[in-house]
Amino acid sequence: MIAFKYTKTDGAEYLSHLDLLRHIYRTLRRACIPVNYSGGFHKHPRIFLNNPLGTGIKSAAEYAAVESGFDGDFMEEFNKFSPSGVKCLKWAHTDKNPNYANCIVKCTYSAQGINKFDARELLEKESIRICDLRGREVDIRPRIYAVEWQGDKLLFTLGCGENNLRPDLFCDYLCSLYGGNARGILKTASIMSGDEFV
Amino acid sequence: MTIDLEQIKDILSRVEKPARYTGGEYGEVKCQSSPFYFCMAFPDLYEVGMSNLGIKIVAESFLRRGYAADYCFAPYTDFGDAIKKAGVPLYSLALKKPLKEFDMIGFSLQFELCYTNLLYMLDLAGIPLRRADRAGGKYPVIAIGGPCTVNPEPLADFVDIVFIGDGESADADVAALYLECGGATDEFYRRAAQLDGVYVPALMEVRYGEDGHICAFESQFRPRRAIISDLDGAVFPAAQPVPNCESVFDRSIIEVMRGCYRGCRFCQAGFIYRPVRQRKVDTLTKQACSLIASTGYDEVSLNSLSTGDYPHLRELIRSLKATLPEGVTLALPSLRVDSFDSDFAQDARKISLTFAPEAGSQRLRDVINKDVTEDEIISAAESAFDIGYSAVKLYFMLGLPTETDEDLRAIRRIVDLIKSAYGRKKRAKALRVSVSVSTFIPKPFTPFQWEKQCGEEEVEAKQKVLRDCLYIKGVTLSWSDYFTSRLEGVFARGDRKLGAVLQRAYELGCRFDGWTKDLNKQAWAQAFDDCGIDPAIYTRERGASEILPWEFIDVGITKNFFERERQNAYAGIVTGSCKAGCAGCGLQKICPAAKGDR
Repeated sequence: MIAFKYTKTDGAEYLSHLDLLRHIYRTLRRACIPVNYSGGFHKHPRIFLNNPLGTGIKSAAEYAAVESGFDGDFMEEFNKFSPSGVKCLKWAHTDKNPNYANCIVKCTYSAQGINKFDARELLEKESIRICDLRGREVDIRPRIYAVEWQGDKLLFTLGCGENNLRPDLFCDYLCSLYGGNARGILKTASIMSGDEFV
Repeated sequence: MTIDLEQIKDILSRVEKPARYTGGEYGEVKCQSSPFYFCMAFPDLYEVGMSNLGIKIVAESFLRRGYAADYCFAPYTDFGDAIKKAGVPLYSLALKKPLKEFDMIGFSLQFELCYTNLLYMLDLAGIPLRRADRAGGKYPVIAIGGPCTVNPEPLADFVDIVFIGDGESADADVAALYLECGGATDEFYRRAAQLDGVYVPALMEVRYGEDGHICAFESQFRPRRAIISDLDGAVFPAAQPVPNCESVFDRSIIEVMRGCYRGCRFCQAGFIYRPVRQRKVDTLTKQACSLIASTGYDEVSLNSLSTGDYPHLRELIRSLKATLPEGVTLALPSLRVDSFDSDFAQDARKISLTFAPEAGSQRLRDVINKDVTEDEIISAAESAFDIGYSAVKLYFMLGLPTETDEDLRAIRRIVDLIKSAYGRKKRAKALRVSVSVSTFIPKPFTPFQWEKQCGEEEVEAKQKVLRDCLYIKGVTLSWSDYFTSRLEGVFARGDRKLGAVLQRAYELGCRFDGWTKDLNKQAWAQAFDDCGIDPAIYTRERGASEILPWEFIDVGITKNFFERERQNAYAGIVTGSCKAGCAGCGLQKICPAAKGDR
């Protein structure tokens, strides 16, 4: 098994999750990195990605695992054949599947263009109710772990997986409250419940 | 000027499948500065266009000569409306260059229902629709190509250059001429009009008689279809961009042959791609290997109008299986029943198999020159069942010349025979049969180019006959919408007068007419009304002595041959394949099959 961290930028942020999976599969094929297949009637390559990222959101911290017996320089070969926005950043052999879809519990993002506000004041709120994409009212406060300013950049950590909060939705909320127009939302780190493997 | 994705990120994050509009495909064209910028435009969605091999061949022919070639597809209405509102011009995918800044835009026209999309794309690009409004050389040369251009007349008022026939050399020749003449000058157009495969609508006048029919074409030039003699050595893109989002045919495509030996009388492609030219097994193997290595696809499709007629098919499959990496599957999308061989089908997932008998009765199959017998259909189906297929799809046509209800009911007989062939042995699954019946549309440059296209009542009555006799368990029947078929028929055999209707329809909001959910029937009806044109004059039977709107083009096949074939159709005489003997269509001098190379 090979676990690796990669980017989703330069236009690739608009790829859907399924298309991204296809791109990674084809990159591996072009790079002649063998992948194991499931044994069913509809064989599919054993590639495991972390939870889907909303389309349009850039990331410098995506994770994937591939069942492969490849023993060359994975990063070099992968990057030679991958689309421009999907680049491997680091990699490692692992014994078991890290199951990134499950073990990534929080993600840190950065964004610009939101008007300055007092981050502490926001975190002191007990509940923050917004309408999600399906129009349901939800309390997002429990899904917000950290918010801080770094110059004119806002860094914030939100829940992922079962406890997911979309960063663009969060930014929309902030802009509606404090003004501004969020741009350049980027996932900078994925925080895992166990070992990182990579 | 280039478009920055950041600039339109709000639009991209709102639309369906934004990856259609971002470019950045693996293997996309990369070019610095170039003396000539060509934009290969496709008037349908990204996922349809990206599956088209033709546009990749044309783009490659420009690239090989050191010109820039980029792609642009019709954006779906959500994105199109948004960029129009935001004042962002339509741009090309790799270079993100507004279409207006290219030297030439070439639209590939695969079928008639994409015509409004050509206007839609010009509009989004900020280019005046009518040629007359583009005078002065400020705008790119607007060109069209593809199968529809054998009758380009409905588009004559909108385009500058029409490419007819094979696009491997004529298209880029025109670019060279453009540079030589210092732009789109009068000299450029006059010299371009002399090239094989080029028609310049501005240099031809159409005269109409009092009866409203065409009485003369006035031009010093006679456009002739471009035909490449050496397909084996022809331009072929060894690497192709891999689409960002799943396309309709997500696989590598190699073109085994161009043209078809059969000459089915309803089939336009069977005539306008003549003569049959083949690629060598060696060449095809190399092309397939290079595509698989450069794209990462795991399937190769062996395309042609009738791949089963490729004489070296067995050898080709053997060679591909021996050379391609393990796990790559082969797809043979157009096998005729009489060439179906269980060896060929072994590779694919055994789910569904498609046969196209086209007509139910032997009599009608003889009329249309579909040289296939009932026994061949049944034995092909049986051998497919024996290797594990449990579903068959059958294609038929409705409204063919001389057709009676008896012929339609004969479809039931074929279905019954297939069912009993399946029942002859014990099989694991229940058989599923789907019967798909499309409406016959007479097309230019076929022996049926004079025929009447069935009217609404007639078509509905025929569809009812089918519904009544095919209401059986395990059989699903689908049929094509009358309105769509009529619209296609009108434009297929249309003339210049239809330009006004087309523009009016676009103004009324028509686009993506080929997509059922987007076709706006009311707007089309109004467009015909507003222009005072009755669509029925285009679907009627044409007189034998009438001048047909597309007759000024020389596709290489004689009118006499088409007339002869039409008589044979009425007499129920099968002409048979070019392999069995030359029927003398007019291309004998350049046809390899006529010279014995079959």
